[in-house]
Amino acid sequence: MRTLVMACITMLTLISCGSNEPKPIKINSDSCDFCKMTIANGKFGAELITKKGRYYKFDDLACMVQFAKSNTVVPYQSFFVNDYLKDNTLIPAETAHFIKGGKINSPMRGNMAAFSSAKEQAEFAKKLEAQTITWSEVYNAYK
Amino acid sequence: MKNLVYIFFFLSLICNAKTITVGKTYPVKTIKHALTLAIDGDTIIVTKGVYKEGNIIINKKIAFLGKNYPILDGQNKFEVLSVAADSVLVKGFKIINSGYAALDDPCGIKVYDRNFVRIENNILDNNFFGIYLQNCKNSIVKNNTIRAYGKQEQLIGNGIHCWKSEHLQIIGNRISGHRDGIYFEFVTQSVIWRNISNNNIRYGLHFMFSNDDSYITNVFKGNGAGVAVMFTKNVKMFNNYFEENWGDSAYGLLLKEIADSYIFNNRFARNTSGIYMEGTSRIKVEKNVFEANGWGMKIQASCMENEIVNNNYVGNTFDISTNGSLVLNTFNSNYWDKYEGYDLNKDGIGDVPYHPLSLFAVLTENNPSAMILFRSFMITLLDKSEKVLPSITPDNFIDNKPLMKSLPL
Repeated sequence: MRTLVMACITMLTLISCGSNEPKPIKINSDSCDFCKMTIANGKFGAELITKKGRYYKFDDLACMVQFAKSNTVVPYQSFFVNDYLKDNTLIPAETAHFIKGGKINSPMRGNMAAFSSAKEQAEFAKKLEAQTITWSEVYNAYK
Repeated sequence: MKNLVYIFFFLSLICNAKTITVGKTYPVKTIKHALTLAIDGDTIIVTKGVYKEGNIIINKKIAFLGKNYPILDGQNKFEVLSVAADSVLVKGFKIINSGYAALDDPCGIKVYDRNFVRIENNILDNNFFGIYLQNCKNSIVKNNTIRAYGKQEQLIGNGIHCWKSEHLQIIGNRISGHRDGIYFEFVTQSVIWRNISNNNIRYGLHFMFSNDDSYITNVFKGNGAGVAVMFTKNVKMFNNYFEENWGDSAYGLLLKEIADSYIFNNRFARNTSGIYMEGTSRIKVEKNVFEANGWGMKIQASCMENEIVNNNYVGNTFDISTNGSLVLNTFNSNYWDKYEGYDLNKDGIGDVPYHPLSLFAVLTENNPSAMILFRSFMITLLDKSEKVLPSITPDNFIDNKPLMKSLPL
């Protein structure tokens, strides 16, 4: 009996620990934690996880960065962004390749798109007349 | 006399516009052929039938009329109708099955950088975007029926999408099943009047960065998340219905970063939250009805200098809720059905001020799962004692002149 209880407690502790896997965004159902809009486009969404394991979802990269900058108390674990070419697929922001401006029309006018490879980034930068930027530039674009 | 003859001569030249009829039994069989024959000022009448001609581009100043609703089919591949000339009239078509693409937003009807365009009495069915006005001025979208069949988890465009335009009139349209029924972005000095926007996936009406507009006598019912007015100033919202918008992030009316606006004589009924305000200032909310909502109004701490006057709050679970302790908004002369005060001098105004903010509303705002205790004995007791001696809720959050009888609205 006691072992069972112990096992349960261990399980619970393990579950409550923050994992580093993104939770998928439910399109047209989840709302952005910064601008309150319902997330309707799986190309521009973003998600961040705090060190304590709380998830925040966003409809635009600009919303995530502004949200992250508005708080100086809670430390963050990781950032995720939607891959522009795959419908509603989250990839780690640190390794993603970004473009900004041009013909990109994102929900909150952040107008940034993320790609998983540098090749796609270069191809779409040309196609959408956008500039290539890095994750640190994205993160420092907002106060 | 001679002058008169000249005038008649010139008039006859001007009135020389011809009418081209398109149809199976007419010499001109296709719309594209008719468009090559037409010159500015002509009329093209399309008779009943199904026309699968890919992308039809109108690049002359013509009247483009459908007789008995001819069907223009985009075969799920093309943008159906593109307007690339000023002063075009498009009337009486049934436009179906536009292409579906996330990159270039194909539409039922799209107008590119034009003025004085009128789109009237059309039926749009199963298009990605319905009607799209891009960079237009002085244009009218009137009495169209726009239907789509968007589902959850699916990308779909807006019913009427207006971008970077001014002086538009959106009148008497019915929109359902799109992402946003009507979407305004960078649109100024425009009016939205007598539209019915129901059962859209996200918002019935969505304003972004659009100043100096008004929307009057519209119905927004059963939309995924109600109506959103964001990052805007100087918007007038009169006589609208905001009904049955249910869900965790659904609001009858979502106001975010908006200033200097006027909300008058609207009805908010059966929503999760009637109005949700964040970062709004200098707004007057007057003579509205809040009826059977979960929350009548949610006013976040970032709102200031808003005036809430002469409204009826009837049968809401919570009338008001807020997440802050500072009181920067004024409440005056509203009717609250939860008011339990008295009126000794019979002037119709309660003699003791009313605290619209209940203790439990504050508790659940900070800790949503506390909702499970709602209507329990302890909570009722705490609520009553809080009414007498405010401790957690700010004591100056009051309506000094609560009305004894509801306003006839």
